[in-house]
Amino acid sequence: MSAPASPGAPEPLPASPVFVDPVAIDPARPHDGVDLAADGIVVDGLRRSFGGVHAVRAMTFHAKPGRVTGLIGPNGAGKTTLMLMLASLLAPDAGAIRVAGADPVRDPRAVRRAMGWMPDVLGTWRTLSPRQILVTVGRLHGLPERVARDRADELIVQARLEELANRPSRVLSRGQQQRLGLARALVHRPRVLLLDEPAAGLDPTSRLELRELLRGFATAGGTVLISSHDLSELDEIAQDAVFVDRGEVVGGERLVLARQAAREWRVRALDPRALSYQLASIGVAFDRVRLEGDVALIALDREEHAADLLQRLVAAGVPIVHFAPAVGDIERTYLGLAGGRR
Amino acid sequence: MSQTATLPPEAPAPVQPPARGFGAWMRMLGVVVRLELAQRVRSVAWYVLLVVVGLVVGGVIVVLFLSLADYQRDLGGAIFSTTIFLVMLVTSLVTPALSGNAINGDRDGGTLAATQVTQVTAGQLVLGKVLGAWIASLGFLLVCAPFMLGSALLGGLRIEAVAVAIPVVVVEIGVVSAIGVGLSGLIRRPVLSTVVTYLVVAFFSVGTLIGFGVATIAFQSEETYNEVEWDWDETTDATTCRVTDRTFETTVPRPDRVWPLLAANPYVILADAVPPHFDASGYPDDLLGQIASGVRYAQLEPVQEECPEILPSGAWQGETAEEVYERTVPSWFVGLAIHLALAALAVWGAIGAVRAPARTLAPGSRIA
Repeated sequence: MSAPASPGAPEPLPASPVFVDPVAIDPARPHDGVDLAADGIVVDGLRRSFGGVHAVRAMTFHAKPGRVTGLIGPNGAGKTTLMLMLASLLAPDAGAIRVAGADPVRDPRAVRRAMGWMPDVLGTWRTLSPRQILVTVGRLHGLPERVARDRADELIVQARLEELANRPSRVLSRGQQQRLGLARALVHRPRVLLLDEPAAGLDPTSRLELRELLRGFATAGGTVLISSHDLSELDEIAQDAVFVDRGEVVGGERLVLARQAAREWRVRALDPRALSYQLASIGVAFDRVRLEGDVALIALDREEHAADLLQRLVAAGVPIVHFAPAVGDIERTYLGLAGGRR
Repeated sequence: MSQTATLPPEAPAPVQPPARGFGAWMRMLGVVVRLELAQRVRSVAWYVLLVVVGLVVGGVIVVLFLSLADYQRDLGGAIFSTTIFLVMLVTSLVTPALSGNAINGDRDGGTLAATQVTQVTAGQLVLGKVLGAWIASLGFLLVCAPFMLGSALLGGLRIEAVAVAIPVVVVEIGVVSAIGVGLSGLIRRPVLSTVVTYLVVAFFSVGTLIGFGVATIAFQSEETYNEVEWDWDETTDATTCRVTDRTFETTVPRPDRVWPLLAANPYVILADAVPPHFDASGYPDDLLGQIASGVRYAQLEPVQEECPEILPSGAWQGETAEEVYERTVPSWFVGLAIHLALAALAVWGAIGAVRAPARTLAPGSRIA
C-alpha cells in the first residue's frame, strides 16, 4: 500500500497475497504512475463518455503478465466499456492503453494479433457449425487454411465439443456456447486474454477446466484480465484484483478501508452448546455473533482477532471442526466498498 | 480444456504478421465472402425463393410464348428481353432484403465485433458483404438462364443484345447490393436500412418515371403555331393540306426538357444500352428497343404540325423510330455512372462506420 498513512487513517492490514494494489506495485512510484512500456495490459488515465454519460472517468492500472487479474465492480461501473477499449473496438476520449506493448488506437492490428477476447454476450454465427466458426476465425486472423483446420480440431477437443462439431451452433447450450467462445478467443494463440463473465452458464467440471486453463495460461507468461460478478470464483482464480466503481479504479485509502471492514468468520464445533457458551464466556460481544443452526458467524475486525479467538476456543476445549472466513478476500473487499457507498 | 493444451505464449507465435500484398488481401476477402454466403445466404429460405422465382418467371415466359407464337416469327429477341426485364424486377425486389441488414444485423447479433477483432480490415469486411449479397442475388439470374437459352433456340436472338444486357443486369444487381450493404452500415436499425434500400430502388425504378411525368407538365411551354387546314375536294375525292397564315397559342408538354430524369432509371439504362434492332418499317422489334425508342422520342422538341408528305402508296411519310434513334443521344452510361457513384459512396460510408476502434457511435448502438 502506498497510500500515505495520514494521522487518524486506519492502519492498513497486512495484505493477503490476493491483494496487490494494482496501481501501487512499487511503493516508490507515484500513485497514479504506470509504465506504458510494461508488458501485459497497461491502462493510464483512461476516459470515455457517451454523450453525457461518463462510462469511464479515470482508470489507471496494470495487469501483469504471468498473473490472472480480476476486474470487479457493480453494474454500470464501466467494466464493459473498458473491455471494449482494450479489445480495440472503441477509441478512448483520453488516456493511453497498451496491450502486449501495442496501442489499440494506433496499431489495432498488432493488438488483435496478441489479444483474445471473449465478450459477455457472445455473438455466434448460428447457422455455422463450431468447426466452421473456428476455422473461419482462424482464417480471419491470417492463419493459412491447413493451419486453421488443425487448430480448430485441436480446440474442439479442448472444448469437448467433438459430438457437436458439425452441427449448427444454434443447438449448443449456454455453457457449450461459452466453451466455444473461449475456444474462439484462443484460436490465434494470443498472449493476452480479455474475458467477460467467462464462467456464466458453465457446469462445475467446465469451471474447473476453465480455472486450470487460465492458470496454465498465466503460468506460461500470458496476461489474463477477467471480469466477473462471481466473487468466490474470482477468489479462486485471480491473483490480482482491480476494483472499479462509477468509472474509476478504486484505490488507496478507500480500498484499505474496505478491506478493514468487519468480516464474518464461520465457526462450527462438534458441540454447538459448548461453542456458544465459550463465546460468551470469552467475552465476544453478543451483537457480533450470529447463530445459524450449528454454525456460528462471528464478525471480526482483524485477522489477529480471529487467530486470538481460535486459540482461546481451543484452549477452552471446544471441539472446533471448522474455522474460516465466511467470504473470500475479493468478496469482502467488494462488499466493504458497496457498504461504503450506502 | 486441460492445462497441457494451453499454449505457452513464449512458443513461436503461429500467427505471423499478416501477409502483405494483393494475393493475401484477396484471400482474406474470400474468407469474408464465404462466411457471408454460409451464414446469411445459404439458408432454406433462399433456395425456396429461387425455386419460386424460377417457377413464376417460367410461367410468364411460357404464357408469353404461347400467345405470341401465332403471329410473330423469330420470338427469341422478345422472349429474351422479357426474361431479362423480369430478372431485373425480381432482383431489385430481393437484393435489398439480402443486403439491407448485412452490417447492422451482424451488429445486433454480436458477430460483427467478432470479425472486427481479427486481422480483417474494414474495407475487406464491407466489400466481402457486398460480394456475398451480389453473388446471392445473381442466383436469380442463374435460375432464369434456362429461359434465356430457350429464347436463343427460338431464333432471332441477337448476340450483341445478350452480350450487353447480361453485364448491365449484373452490374445493376451489384449496385443494389452495394447500396444495401452501405446503408446497413450507416443506419443502425436493420429494418430501417432495408426499407431505405427499397425506397432507393423504388426511387430509381418508379420515382424517376413519376418525376418525369410530373416534370413534363411542370416544364410545359406556350408555343405559337400556324394553323393547318385540310380541304376535301368532292369531285376528285382528294384531300389537300395547307399551312395557313393564321396562328394560335397552345400549351405543350416538354419532355425534351426533363428527359434526363429517365436516364437514371435502371430499366431505361438496360434498354438504352442494348443496341436496338429495327424491322423493315423502321420499328424496334423487341421490348428493349421499344423502351429505348420511347426515351429517344422524349428528347425531341415539340414541332409545328405540318402537312405530312404522302407517298404514292398512300402511306404517310413520317420520321421512323430508327431515324429518331439515329439523331438523338444515348444516356445509359450517364445513368450507370450515377448508380455506380452512389454505390461507391454508400460503401465508402459503411467502411468508415465499420472501422474500429470507433470514435463515435450512433445513439443506442451496441458494439459487441
